[in-house]
Amino acid sequence: MKKSIGISLILIFSLLLGACSLKQDVANLYKQETPLESEIIIPESISANKQETIKVILTQDGKKVEGADYVQFEIWKQDGSVKFDMEQAEDEGNGTYSLSKKIDSEGLYYIKVHASNHGSIIMPQKQFVIGELSENEKKFLRKGKPKQQESHENHH
Amino acid sequence: MWRWHLYAGIIFAPFLFILAVTGSIYLFKPQIEQMIYQDYYEVTPQGEKVAASAQIEEVKNLYPDAIINKYRPGENTMRSSEVSITANDESLTIFIDPYTGEFIGEQNSKDKIMNKIEEIHGELMAGTLGDRIVELAACWAVVLIVTGLYLWFPKKNQRLSGVLYPRFNKGKKILRRDLHAVPAFWVTAGMLFLIMTGLPWSGFWGSNFQSIATNSGAGYPPSIWSGDAPTSIIKTKDIAEVPWAAENLDVPLSKIQGYIPLPIDDVVAIANREGLHPSYTVSIPQDTVGVYTLSAYPPKAQDEVTMHIDQYSGAVLADYRYQNYGLVGKSVAWGITLHKGTQFGLINQLVSLLICLGIILVTVSGFYLWWKRKPKKGSGAPKAPSLKKMKFFLVLLIGLGILFPLVGLSLIVVWLIDWLIIQRIAVVKKFLNA
Repeated sequence: MKKSIGISLILIFSLLLGACSLKQDVANLYKQETPLESEIIIPESISANKQETIKVILTQDGKKVEGADYVQFEIWKQDGSVKFDMEQAEDEGNGTYSLSKKIDSEGLYYIKVHASNHGSIIMPQKQFVIGELSENEKKFLRKGKPKQQESHENHH
Repeated sequence: MWRWHLYAGIIFAPFLFILAVTGSIYLFKPQIEQMIYQDYYEVTPQGEKVAASAQIEEVKNLYPDAIINKYRPGENTMRSSEVSITANDESLTIFIDPYTGEFIGEQNSKDKIMNKIEEIHGELMAGTLGDRIVELAACWAVVLIVTGLYLWFPKKNQRLSGVLYPRFNKGKKILRRDLHAVPAFWVTAGMLFLIMTGLPWSGFWGSNFQSIATNSGAGYPPSIWSGDAPTSIIKTKDIAEVPWAAENLDVPLSKIQGYIPLPIDDVVAIANREGLHPSYTVSIPQDTVGVYTLSAYPPKAQDEVTMHIDQYSGAVLADYRYQNYGLVGKSVAWGITLHKGTQFGLINQLVSLLICLGIILVTVSGFYLWWKRKPKKGSGAPKAPSLKKMKFFLVLLIGLGILFPLVGLSLIVVWLIDWLIIQRIAVVKKFLNA
């Protein structure tokens, strides 16, 4: 009797200790996706009225994506006053796709890259600035502050 | 055998009774909630729906300090959309008419009657301790079933009366016994099923079981029950900084230039593109590395889905449907929908209700049986037989103790109490007939 209780005790504890956590790479045992990854490259500073080139480098499964199903760029201004149609990007090879653009008005802009390859569809968007920001745009940027921070301040 | 059945019965019958009663009510949650919250749930379809982002904006206007946690678009054209928020440490659900974008109502989740019922059913309103007690009661119910079946099993050439149907004309004593043993036999399979399908949700046995299953590749994929969701694949340094800390906008331009999270409207579009069950909920990422998690647990197990979407690129990082579950995961998923009575709709609910009513009858009649039979003095337990005659039973108990460590643990406690107290104090020993 005592012996069997001892054995069951050991078994119980080994079960308790052994089973609690998940293996790190456990997701590999189940269905996996190969998401398209993108790096949107915008020149450090862009001036209005100048031809600028925006690039995106696409990788998937650790390899550069050659001949993606589609890569399109969409650019618009934050206040809605400027909006370009979606445009096909040029395939430069080695996973790089680019678009040259001349924008007249200064301010806060967005670019959205629509890309797809091997069943993965992405639409990353990036915020960028041409020239100087207007007062309204600065106000808009400040409004986007995280809610958690706001509520902390209100507790006083 | 009788001894164990008696003790375990007296201790755990009240819990099983509570579980059966709350379970009977919880089974009808869809109908009950549809009735109580009809004004919140139902909307009149008119024209196009307002964008999800506009609906959330409305909630932000009404609750400026709240954290937005979830958005649920509503599974059909007549259903309102829901925005789950945390405001002043309360979790609220805000109902919005998706056609007008207007506020319908607010619901505090701690006021929801079904949440209370669920809390009693799952943890007796006593947190982790309650969860463990429920789990223990469920495991010991298995012991009760096994010992009960042994006691019920017809001896010699007994007829079917008193086995499959009760004997009404053999006096009160026999009728009392039959009113416990016969219905108990009939609900055995159903009860065992409810226990086995309920256990995977339990805090201790359940979470360990799920982890073992997931680790073996046969369970749920990670992040559905246990394990973390994947994180965004965008590098943190490439994310646009929000200049909230600065009174003046002195954050360098290069920090403002960067990836920004996708608007929720894109996430809804992705959900439509990927063909999610319309009852899905979007969990909104709360930090810079989080993901949008779309999940749906509809009535039928085979419609379940959990999908993680990169909050910056919209890339589907993981897409787990029922078909992607391992064999154990599939069984558990079916077990859950059957246990909740949703898998086969009304028929499922009625069958489960019948089992619950059976359990109520059996716990009450069992208690009554003991109450009537026990002598004025003493517990009425039969004399403890020597352990040597009970080899089979001992093996069974140890087996159950290993399979359900909580049973094993409680067995050790019982054995210690027996050894340290009962066997040493004459009065107790006599009372329990040990």
